[in-house]
Amino acid sequence: MHTVKILPDDIEIKVKDNTDLLSAITDAGIYINSDCGGNGTCGKCKVIIKNGYVLSCQTNVTDDLVIEIPYSSRIEEIHALIDTAEQTQESVFAYQPLAKKVHLKLVQPSLENNIPDYERLKSKLEEKLSISNLKIGLSLLKALPHFLRKVEWDFTASLVESDGGYEFVQFEPGDRSKDIYGIALDIGTTTVVAYLVNLDSGKVHCAEATYNQQISLGQDVITRIMYSTEKKGLKKLSQMICNTINDLIAALVEKSGISQNDILAVQSAGNTTMIHLFLGINPEYIRKEPYIPVVNFPPVINAEELNIKINPRGTISCLPGVASYLGGDITAGVLASGMDRVEKASLLVDLGTNGEIVLGNSDWLVGCSCSAGPAFEGVGIKCGISAIDGAIQSIKIDNGEVTVSTINNKKPKGICGSGLIDIPAELLRNSIIDRSGKFRKESVKSNRLRKNEDDEYEFVIVSDKDSHIVITESDIATLLRSKGAVFLGMQVLLQEMKLKFEDIDRIYISGGFGTALDIGKAILIGLLPDLPDEKFSFIGNSSVAGAKICLLSKSAREKAKEIVGKMTYIDLSTNPKFMNEYTSTLFLPHTDIELFPTVKRKLGI
Amino acid sequence: MEKVIEKWTGKIAELSIGSVSSEGGSRSKVIKIGGETTLPFLHFEGQMPNPPLVAAEVCDTPPEHWPFIIEEFKNFINDTLRWAKKCEEWGADLLCLKLDSCHPDGKNNSVEYAGELVSKVLKTVSLPLIVIGCNHPEKDQEILPKVAEMTKGEKILLGMATKDNYKTITAAALANDHSVIAETPLDINLAKQLNILISDMGLPVERIVMHHTTGGLGYGFEYCYSIMERCRLAGLTGDKVVATPIINMIAEETWKIKEAKASKDEQPTWGELHSRAVGWEVTCAAGYLQAGSDILVLVHPESIKIIKQTIKQLMTGVRP
Repeated sequence: MHTVKILPDDIEIKVKDNTDLLSAITDAGIYINSDCGGNGTCGKCKVIIKNGYVLSCQTNVTDDLVIEIPYSSRIEEIHALIDTAEQTQESVFAYQPLAKKVHLKLVQPSLENNIPDYERLKSKLEEKLSISNLKIGLSLLKALPHFLRKVEWDFTASLVESDGGYEFVQFEPGDRSKDIYGIALDIGTTTVVAYLVNLDSGKVHCAEATYNQQISLGQDVITRIMYSTEKKGLKKLSQMICNTINDLIAALVEKSGISQNDILAVQSAGNTTMIHLFLGINPEYIRKEPYIPVVNFPPVINAEELNIKINPRGTISCLPGVASYLGGDITAGVLASGMDRVEKASLLVDLGTNGEIVLGNSDWLVGCSCSAGPAFEGVGIKCGISAIDGAIQSIKIDNGEVTVSTINNKKPKGICGSGLIDIPAELLRNSIIDRSGKFRKESVKSNRLRKNEDDEYEFVIVSDKDSHIVITESDIATLLRSKGAVFLGMQVLLQEMKLKFEDIDRIYISGGFGTALDIGKAILIGLLPDLPDEKFSFIGNSSVAGAKICLLSKSAREKAKEIVGKMTYIDLSTNPKFMNEYTSTLFLPHTDIELFPTVKRKLGI
Repeated sequence: MEKVIEKWTGKIAELSIGSVSSEGGSRSKVIKIGGETTLPFLHFEGQMPNPPLVAAEVCDTPPEHWPFIIEEFKNFINDTLRWAKKCEEWGADLLCLKLDSCHPDGKNNSVEYAGELVSKVLKTVSLPLIVIGCNHPEKDQEILPKVAEMTKGEKILLGMATKDNYKTITAAALANDHSVIAETPLDINLAKQLNILISDMGLPVERIVMHHTTGGLGYGFEYCYSIMERCRLAGLTGDKVVATPIINMIAEETWKIKEAKASKDEQPTWGELHSRAVGWEVTCAAGYLQAGSDILVLVHPESIKIIKQTIKQLMTGVRP
C-alpha cells in the first residue's frame, strides 16, 4: 500500500501497489474528466506530479506520492442539466402518483365491531381512496397487530402501485401523509439527472446531476455493450450505474434533509442499453443483427433487489422503450413535449449522446436514432465539457475579438454544447473557416490561429494563465459529422412520411447542452432546418421531465405505453438515403444551400 | 408517332484550354470542352457542341507500376520531351504532363525543376497542356504555383486541387489565368462542395473540371459510372455548381492493374497480353465516354487512335 496525497483538496488515500491514478482518484470520491475511459487517448485526466503533467489513467502508483489535480481536469457540478422549470404539459394528466401515503384513524375493535385488523384497515382505505386490489406482505402483516394498538389506531399507511392495484409498504405513527417523495431519473449515457419530487404536492423539491460513472469505461453505448460481454463486465457496469444513482439520491437526501425511507418510488427513463445495464440485463443482442433488446417494457422492480437506496420496499419503474436504439428517454420526450396530442405534425430532436428524432402527431409517430455521437455533450472534442460551472455556453467573434460567456460566470473551463454550436457559426461568419469547416490558413491573419503540438491547426478561444481553450480543425469536423447526422435524420423521417420542413408546426429541442442555445446559429451551421424562430421550443432535459410526469400520473404512464405502441422505428443504418446523402450534410450549412435560404442571404452566398 | 424527348433546363459549362500567339500564348490551337445540353451522344435530344477530348499522358519519371508501358515505351521512357513529342505525333488533342518525380518519397525534385521542365515541354510541343502535380497535396502546393507562373498566358488545366490544397492551387490559377481540376473521392456531394469552395475564392465554376477519382474497368466501374451520371444529371437539371466538365484518368487506373500486367504465361486463360492490355484501356475509356467524360487521359498510342475514332463515330453517327 502507498499513500497518495491529493492537492489542493489535502486528502490522503491508501492505494494498492500498481493501481492507476485515475482509479485511485475516483475511489477517493473526486471526479475528473476521462472521455476515453482510461485508454490514454483523450488527454483530459491530467494531474500534476512534481511540476510535470501526467495522464492519471496511464500512471501507476508504485510509491508514496503527492499529486495536484488542476482545475481543468475536475468535473464540477452539472448545473445546466437541471432545469426544473415547468415547461411541460403535465397538467393534462390526472394526478395519481406511483406511491401514496394515507393518514388513517381507525375505529377501535370491540365485541360488537369485531372485524380483524387487516380487513379493518383495508376497508377503511378502500372507502377513502375508492380502490380495490390491495396487497400486503407477510412480514408487514405480522407487525400490524402490535403497531396498531401502540399508535392507538392513528397512523399513516404507505402504498406503492403494483399490478394495477396497490401494495402496503410501511406503517408509521401519526400523520406523515405529506412526507412522501419520489425520484424522477434520467439515465443518460453521459450524464444522470435526478429530481426529488414531493408526491403529495407534485412539486420538485430539489435536483442533482452527475456524470454516469460508466463513462470511464467508454463514451458510447456500443463500447459499453462490448465491455459488458467481458468477464464480470455486466456486473461492473450495473454496479457503476447503481452507484451513480445512489450518489445522486444521497446528495438529494442530504440537501433536502428528508428521510431516505420517505422515498417510495423511482421513475426512470433512459435509452435501451442504459436500462438494460441498470437492471443488470445482458445488452449483447442490442448490438448484433437483428438488434433486438431483451425487453422494451421492463417490469416494476423492488428497490431492495436493485440495491437502490430508497425505502427498501419502494419500487423502481422504467419508461418503456420503442426499439434497441430508441429508448424510454425518447418515449419520455414525446410525452413531455405533448407532440402526440396535437393534430399538426411536429418534430422532437433529442441532442443526447446519440441524437434521436421523432416526427408525428396525434395519429402517428415515427422515430430514428442518427448515431450523431456525443459531440454536443462536449465528449470527443478537445476542450469540450458538459454543461458544468465554467463551461463556455456562448461565443461571439467580432473583428477578431472573441467574447465568451460561461455558466454561472465562472472561470472558463471548457466548451459545452451550446458553445460548440456557436463556434462553427462564428468562425464561418468571420471567414475564419470555409464552408467545409477548414481554417482559411492562407488568408486569416490572427495569432489566435496556429498549429498545435500535434501539428494540427487550432483556434484559440480563451488563453490566460488558468485556462487554455481551443477548437481544433478535427473538432470542427467532428461537430460537422454530428450536426449532419441529426439534420439528415430529420430529412429521412420527413421523406418517409412525404412531408417537408414547411409542413412542420413545431420543433422541440431537448438535451442537456445548456440553456443558451442560439437557434439562429444552430440553423447557420445546418443542425436545425431553416424555419422561423417561433417554430422552435427548447424543452431542456425532456427525459427527466417525462419521467417526472409519469411519477405523478397513472394516465401519463398509460400514455407512455400508447406512445410506444404508436411509434414506428426507422432504421437509418440500412436506409439508402441516409447513406447516400450523408456527405451532403458535411458542409456549412449544407451542400445544397437552397435548403437554407436565410443563411444564404446572411452569408451573401 | 410522337417522339418522347427529354427537355433539360441546364447546360454544362464550356471551357477553353490553351492559348494561341494572338491571345498571348504559344499553343497551336485553342480547344473547347463542355457545353452539353443532353446526356452523352444523344444528338436527337440536345446539343453536344464539343467532342470529348483525348489527352496523352506523359510522366516525368518512368511509371514503375506500369511494366507494360515501360517495356513498350523503352526507347523514350526516360526522356520526357521525346515522349511528349510522340504524343503529338499520335494525334492526341492535348498533353497531360504529370510531375511524379517531385514526390517526396521518390526523387523529390525541386520546384525549380518543375518550372523548367514545363517551360521545356511548352517549347517542344504545341498542344494545349494539362499539368498534374505529384499526388502529394503539400508538395503540390509548392510546385503547382510555380508551374502556373511559368505557363502564364497558356491557359492550362492545373491539377489536382483537393479539399486540402485547393486554396493555393486556386489562387495560382486565378493569378495566371488558368483553369483547375477539382479532385474528390467519388462522391457527388464532395464534388459539389469542392466546386463551391473553389468558386467561393473567385474562380468561376466555368473554369473547373471535375475529377471524381473514378476507377479502372473491373474495379468498381459501375459505381463510378453511376456517380458521374448522377453528377451530369444534376448539372443538366439546373444545378450550375456541378454543371462542369469531367476528366477521367484512364491510363493511371488501367496500367497498374493485374489485367494490364500479367503475361500469358502467368494467366494462360486470359489471352495475349498486348491486345488484352490495350483493350482494357480502350474499353474503360469507351465506358466513361458514355458516362459523360469530357477529357479522357490515355497513354497507349493504339488506345488513343481507337478512342479518337470512336468519338468521331459517336459524334457523327457515321461508321467509317
